[in-house]
Amino acid sequence: MESNFYYALGHDLRRRIIKIIGDNEFSSFTALKKELKVSTGTIYHHLDALSQLIEQGKDKKYYLTELGQHAYDSLQDNIENIISDFSKKEFNSPILKSLMFLTPKKIINYEKGYKIYTVIFSIGLLILGLIFCNLNALFPILLFFTNLFQSLQTANLSLQIFFNVFFIINFLLYYFINEIICRLVYKKNENSIKFLLSFSLIFYPTIIYLAIHYLFKELDLLDYSVISILDNILMIIFQVWALWLLTYNLIVNKHLKVENALIISLLIHYGGFSIILALSI
Amino acid sequence: MNIKSIFDYRLLGLTGSILLIISQFFSWFSGYSLMERYIIATSVDISNAFLYLFPLISGSICLIATLLIYFKLEYRINSVIINFVGFGFFLIFIFELIPQEIDYITSAGIGFYMSIAGAILIFFHNLNILLTREKSKEGS
Repeated sequence: MESNFYYALGHDLRRRIIKIIGDNEFSSFTALKKELKVSTGTIYHHLDALSQLIEQGKDKKYYLTELGQHAYDSLQDNIENIISDFSKKEFNSPILKSLMFLTPKKIINYEKGYKIYTVIFSIGLLILGLIFCNLNALFPILLFFTNLFQSLQTANLSLQIFFNVFFIINFLLYYFINEIICRLVYKKNENSIKFLLSFSLIFYPTIIYLAIHYLFKELDLLDYSVISILDNILMIIFQVWALWLLTYNLIVNKHLKVENALIISLLIHYGGFSIILALSI
Repeated sequence: MNIKSIFDYRLLGLTGSILLIISQFFSWFSGYSLMERYIIATSVDISNAFLYLFPLISGSICLIATLLIYFKLEYRINSVIINFVGFGFFLIFIFELIPQEIDYITSAGIGFYMSIAGAILIFFHNLNILLTREKSKEGS
């Protein structure tokens, strides 16, 4: 029974079938076909594989069985159910355990009633990011920060306003790059709004870094070599934490495999670095 | 799982990290190695001297990450995350150094090119880990 359960959840399309039926309490074959955009044969093949998790009622519609409901609840709950058995072993490692501990799972993968808290938290983070970027006179490019445009900030009022709100522009830019890659490369069109609402959460570690950096700057501690090195190391650690939050967000909201989510994080992150390096030259 | 593919990505990571580590001891700009520049910098101004050790630190962390999957193959995501940290040191170093030395970049020494080659290899090593795993799962 258990092996069937994991086998059934071991395929993205089967997980999506469970989710569609679970979200709507039932689903017709036509609705499934419209939502999944795959051939009739493929759907029948996966419905067969899900025989213990779903059942067809007298009205010909598909419903979740008790085991199917359990699978649906598990899929809603956490990341561990949308990654393979192979990855589960790896998720018990100290590094990933610590990263998962530091991940605000309930805010990123929020349920219906908690949407408002995610929105409030996200707006709060954006405002904090904006404030700390301006206090540090830093200009954000994806997850990097530079002071290259410090001289331009005094140029004229419109340019000044543009630089002051660039944290929010950067947030939207980063979101759209991720969304476009998910749609074009991985054909993942779902949960765009949920992804957007929880997207600012990935900046949460970098905002902590900006706050610490501001503290160092205000206390003139950055002149000390130890503090300067510590500041650099903190930036690296907080960036890696932010990249993990992006990866987690892509996994739970875009239903990407952990490897694919990491590829997106990696490519965009180093792309951002290339831009900042080119600008500095 | 294909033995050849495992061998390949381990080799990429190992070569990349070793190149990064040894680049520390070869000349970069003005005929000085980074180790020599570190020693000179510590005697004059210690504040930025530690920065010259970043390629060595970066290479060492990436080497640990590569060795991790050498001994525990299933820890590939951990390895990528450790590589993120290691690579971060190199990126900060490059970001601090390149704008300062841009005028001398055409006459850069072998150490500079070794580090760039090492960084590129580590980048492809990370991509390869993630893509190889994907292929192996689809194939199974």
